[in-house]
Amino acid sequence: MAPTEGANASSTSNTTPNDLKSPGTPPAAETPKTLPPPETKESLRLRQWVIASFWAVVLCLGLPMWWKTTAIYRADLPLQHMTDWAEGKICKPVFPLRIAVEAPFQLPDAHNLIRTTQHALDDLNEFSAHHLRLILADIPVARNASQQMVTDGMGISSNDRDIALLLRLIPVETGTTPRSMLQTYATRLDIYYAAHQIPSSSSTGSPLATFIAEELHSIFAEEQALLAYQLSTNVGALTPKMKAPSPEKVAELERQSTRALKYAPTYHLTFSLFSPTSVPSAWEIESALQQYLAPLLESFSFISNFTVDTQVQLYAGFSPSIRQPEYDDNLKAWTLRREDLSGFINAAEWPLSPSIGVGPTVNFVLYVPDQLQSPLLIKENGGNSWLVPQWGGVLILNPPTSGKNTPTVLTKDALAPAMHAFSDQLMSLLGFPQTPNSLPLRLATLERVRAASLLFSASSTLGALARLTKALPSIPIPDTVAKSVDLTIAHLQQSCDSLRDGRFQGALEHARTAEVEAEKAFFERSMVGQVYFPDEHKVAVYLPLLGPVAVPLVMSLLKEIKSVVR
Amino acid sequence: MDQQKAMLFGAAAAVRLLLFTAFPSLPQLLAGRVEVSTPVTSFKRLQEGVFLYTHNVSPYDGGVYHQAPLLLPLFSLLPNPASSPFATNLLFTAVDLLGASALMQIADSGQSVVTRLFKSSRKDLRWSSAAIAATFLFSPFTITTCIARSTSALTNLFILTAMAKASQGASFTFIFAMAMASYLAMHPILLFPPLVLLCYDARTIKSKTAPNPLAFTATHVLGFAAACGGLLGLSALLTGSWEFLAATYGVRLLLPDLTPNVGLWWYFFTEMFDSFREFFLGVFWLHVASYMPGLTIRLRTQPLFVATTLTGIFAVFTPYPSAADASLYLSLVPLFRHLFPLMRYTFLASATILYASFLGPAFYYLWIYAGSGNANFFYAITLVWSLGLSIVVGDSLYAALRDELDVERPELRGKEVKRI
Repeated sequence: MAPTEGANASSTSNTTPNDLKSPGTPPAAETPKTLPPPETKESLRLRQWVIASFWAVVLCLGLPMWWKTTAIYRADLPLQHMTDWAEGKICKPVFPLRIAVEAPFQLPDAHNLIRTTQHALDDLNEFSAHHLRLILADIPVARNASQQMVTDGMGISSNDRDIALLLRLIPVETGTTPRSMLQTYATRLDIYYAAHQIPSSSSTGSPLATFIAEELHSIFAEEQALLAYQLSTNVGALTPKMKAPSPEKVAELERQSTRALKYAPTYHLTFSLFSPTSVPSAWEIESALQQYLAPLLESFSFISNFTVDTQVQLYAGFSPSIRQPEYDDNLKAWTLRREDLSGFINAAEWPLSPSIGVGPTVNFVLYVPDQLQSPLLIKENGGNSWLVPQWGGVLILNPPTSGKNTPTVLTKDALAPAMHAFSDQLMSLLGFPQTPNSLPLRLATLERVRAASLLFSASSTLGALARLTKALPSIPIPDTVAKSVDLTIAHLQQSCDSLRDGRFQGALEHARTAEVEAEKAFFERSMVGQVYFPDEHKVAVYLPLLGPVAVPLVMSLLKEIKSVVR
Repeated sequence: MDQQKAMLFGAAAAVRLLLFTAFPSLPQLLAGRVEVSTPVTSFKRLQEGVFLYTHNVSPYDGGVYHQAPLLLPLFSLLPNPASSPFATNLLFTAVDLLGASALMQIADSGQSVVTRLFKSSRKDLRWSSAAIAATFLFSPFTITTCIARSTSALTNLFILTAMAKASQGASFTFIFAMAMASYLAMHPILLFPPLVLLCYDARTIKSKTAPNPLAFTATHVLGFAAACGGLLGLSALLTGSWEFLAATYGVRLLLPDLTPNVGLWWYFFTEMFDSFREFFLGVFWLHVASYMPGLTIRLRTQPLFVATTLTGIFAVFTPYPSAADASLYLSLVPLFRHLFPLMRYTFLASATILYASFLGPAFYYLWIYAGSGNANFFYAITLVWSLGLSIVVGDSLYAALRDELDVERPELRGKEVKRI
């Protein structure tokens, strides 16, 4: 640019006496005052070169620099895809549960039983996304049932997590038949039947098949309700075939879900011993936790992890703001009113930190009352423990009445009732379903429910991010966000596929990763920096400094162009 | 003459060594003053770097040291300044004396009044080189810089040497000194074009024939690039990696350290929106750089004056200026004694600079120590300081142009001029 202008200037130079700094007033004797002497060619060209040099810096360096430093980088996001995920157009979660049937009779009969039972089950099922499928277990038929119980207690399910339940048919001669028994610590349902109840190959229905179908339906009823609730609360994921759960059921489920903590990959458990006096000053918490809580946490470990800490606080009475306990002659105990329980936690003085480390904290408070106010119970029902929704649990441990003084050390045995109560509270805080009466089954239910809820939550986060991106065109979107979104979508897809294939463990893991990535993308710090920075403000940023600089530059350029044109 | 010079240098050295020995805590005090020591020149930070260097840790670990790597072996050879500061003091005194000697060479060359293409009409109005050296050696800013042992004293020495060698037409030493100055402080690289012109003019006068301008420029640019490349390569060899580039020039370019100084950048960038920070860093640097081509083209006939004016611009508009930069500019200005009668605002400029020099430390004290002032107090003073220096720059520029006009149109001499 500079050379051209210089050349132009030199070709059309000696016309205007229009100078920046020279020559002022010429001697009055020679020429009239109004007309200064013409400039030399030399100085004209010099001036044009100077102006050109300043403009060269502005145009060749300043403009690219401005372009590069103020451009808002927006990585490409698959917006339509993200919205589709949020609206549930891509993934309709289904929960095909496989139930292995172990039948000690001939193959055709077994097949027949499975077929009829499946029919009966399908008739009972109101929720198409959740569906139970019976398959025949590949286990040698002629095996003594009682013997097998001894040899491998957990059966198939421990080896193959994808089998939701093992159904074992056991022929008996005595007792009412058919009857069922659900193993408490195994995913196995034993069905006792009489030999004559095996359906013949010709019949389409049989009492045994109906019985089995009803049993299975009732076992998975709560899970179905939970999942149906999950699906119905996430708009768009609602399947047309599904019947809406009854209002009472919904209220119950809502109550449960408000009680439970939000899902986190890690929870922090804090066990605190508070005492208004100087005793007890020690507790055998470590071994108690080891014995009563560790197995539960262990079995829960594929859903979430836990960290645990404990503390003992002496001279830490409950909150003074509630009414002091009153002595109840009927109960022969000091009583607290139920409505005061919510104020029992002495938040001002008890060192219960809201959150340590990454995950949310679950607090368990063991309160040992003063000897003078012991035993301390709840007036309405005589209970001594309660649950604080989404926060933790409280238990009042009344020292044994036999000894006059409160023991200084709480032994493991003394802690046992507390630990049982805390385990129960922890289970409802983590959102365990109430039924069925088998821990592994409830865990598996929770796994599916969590997978579904994480899937929905990650999808809706994606949708929110897509809406945010569309609504605010001025925010930058760094590459890390695009990468997180891609990861989220990939994991969501895998999670959805795993659900369809009935691999719930894998589904949960992928959904968990998807959730983490989606949150990371949504809460990226560098995106929100310019949210509240409208375009008008840019004038205020640029003008004060660049305005004064630009005025002489632009004016001199205009003047020069004018003189060249003339 | 030689006796006069010896006396002058002796007196200057004596003053410095006396201050060093009579007030042993003075160097420490001054090294902590923001007016003298910036993050990129501070002696304390240099000591930290030397400590890390002698303990075989990368000196740039920890983000304290932002100075050139080649300073490290030099200062690690000297005895520990905490226990035996004499050698270090002697080094900084010698640096000042060498600078003064280079300044005398510039003055002796007469390039400030008579160049190849221009002869000032007031060429007889000039001070002796000894007087000019004295203004440098006894300037309170120079003495403060020396006592604070700020490494900008070294940069000043190399800039003065480069000017001296350019005005003598000694290409080789000019290129080396220029490369050293650019290597130490980066922004002196902008002095290269006017000084190459100065060197070309001086060579032409010396050899009576004009060398081929293209060949001359090409060899000098290549030589300069080779010298800079050599210094950077040596630094990389010394520290074992190229990370020093980000820690030294990166810091000067991107201004991560917002410690207050006498310049205009720190306050502006503490207030700047994050998303515009990079843009305004670019604007500020381009602003500094944009003066060079314009001035060099306009005052092609007086390249030494261009270089001098640029040092004045550096003292105001670079990211980490200090009193040392001002001392360099203010001691180069007396070379142009013949312009003084044409300057219009000498009183205003000197009053402003004095005002800022006295009130600056006081306001800094009020802000940082007494807590009864705030950052605006100190920033206002730095604005006044920059205003004072800008007045000198602008006024001397006006005077140089007026002087040129007098040569062009002798009939206008002494007449009032006005801009149209």
